[in-house]
Amino acid sequence: MPEPTDELKLEIKSMIISTLGITDVDPVDVDEEKPLFGGGNALTLDSVDAIEIIMAIQRTYGFRIADQTLAREVIRSINSIAQFITDQRLVKITP
Amino acid sequence: MAAHCESGTIASLLSHRGMEITEPLVFGISSGIFFGYFHKMKSFAFPTFIVRNKPGQMRKNIEKRLGVRFKTYNFRDPVKGEMKLDELIRQQIPVANQVDFFYLDYVPSWERVHINVHFLVVIGKEENRYIVSDAYFPKLVELDALSLEKGRFAGGNMSPKGFIFHVDSLPTQVNLKPAILKGISKACFNMLKIPIPFLGIKGIRMFAKKVTEWPKFARDTEHLSHEIMKINILLEDQGTGGAGFRFIYATFLQQAAAITGIAELKSLSEELMNIGDGWREISLFTARIGKNRDLGPDKLKQLSEMIYDRADVEERFFKSLSLAIK
Repeated sequence: MPEPTDELKLEIKSMIISTLGITDVDPVDVDEEKPLFGGGNALTLDSVDAIEIIMAIQRTYGFRIADQTLAREVIRSINSIAQFITDQRLVKITP
Repeated sequence: MAAHCESGTIASLLSHRGMEITEPLVFGISSGIFFGYFHKMKSFAFPTFIVRNKPGQMRKNIEKRLGVRFKTYNFRDPVKGEMKLDELIRQQIPVANQVDFFYLDYVPSWERVHINVHFLVVIGKEENRYIVSDAYFPKLVELDALSLEKGRFAGGNMSPKGFIFHVDSLPTQVNLKPAILKGISKACFNMLKIPIPFLGIKGIRMFAKKVTEWPKFARDTEHLSHEIMKINILLEDQGTGGAGFRFIYATFLQQAAAITGIAELKSLSEELMNIGDGWREISLFTARIGKNRDLGPDKLKQLSEMIYDRADVEERFFKSLSLAIK
């Protein structure tokens, strides 16, 4: 199972910050493992933000997260989003 | 894990008894996909809508179409309710429980809301804690007896009244193809032909028309923004599988294509995924209104147009679906 790259993680942080129009958080200050929802991270998001992120992932990377139970797992942290995208890219190129 | 609690619970109970069935198949066979708009109802303080058939209907339709028998129980007395549940799990029978989601202490506090029609499966008990399989969680969880009791006997609209059910018997043979076709046929009828003006495609159009009247029901902009944001919640949260159950139904059609040999169902599945994306655009649009309290002059008109558009594409879709199974 390939590990997500640091570049991808940084890209995801920037995508979230830009999608949500957050102006007071720098991507480097966002913890990659801490949950994005429920507090405790520089990016503290709420359930309304979830749909923004799900749609942003689909628009940016072309991967639809149809099932919201899966969505909850995927958008738990920067690392989990990065892993999802890395896995999906692998599925796409594997015949 | 499952997308929706009721279909996920039924699939889990049937799989436990050895039936090969997936959650999307349960959803599709039971004609779970639906739409209903309620502009003025005594039981709702504000206009609202539904995107699936009524709670309990999936279980009833699965019984009718697959020949499964479920045994159901209701209780007024929590003590008797707990005794029966304990008796069944002592016999190693997994039992589905209807509960108010709010009392499930394994759910993070910020996700807990009062929903009286959540379903979970109790599979065991250790001292005073139940072992629970919840469709929304990847692993088994524990729930203390008092929390389960509060959930099972919560008050309010559609209160659970201690409702539990389990598989009583399975048919000796299961033929999925006729059940799938019947499920699709009924879903098409519900969406296209049900003679009630606020249900099915007519309901989506009524929603599109009436949403512009929502300001007259609201106390102020804050209240109105909040109610509009709930559109996102009704479409994306509460176990819809995303896009108001359209994605889970699309997955059903993909599986149905393989089982029935009707290839057109596969292309219709892809079409419905795209239709679902449009519902998600509505979710996003309404979430932004709620988040920003932004109700610019044309926002409700734009929302109305987006919903009208969904009515048009779903009407074409269900007509094609209806023809595909003839």
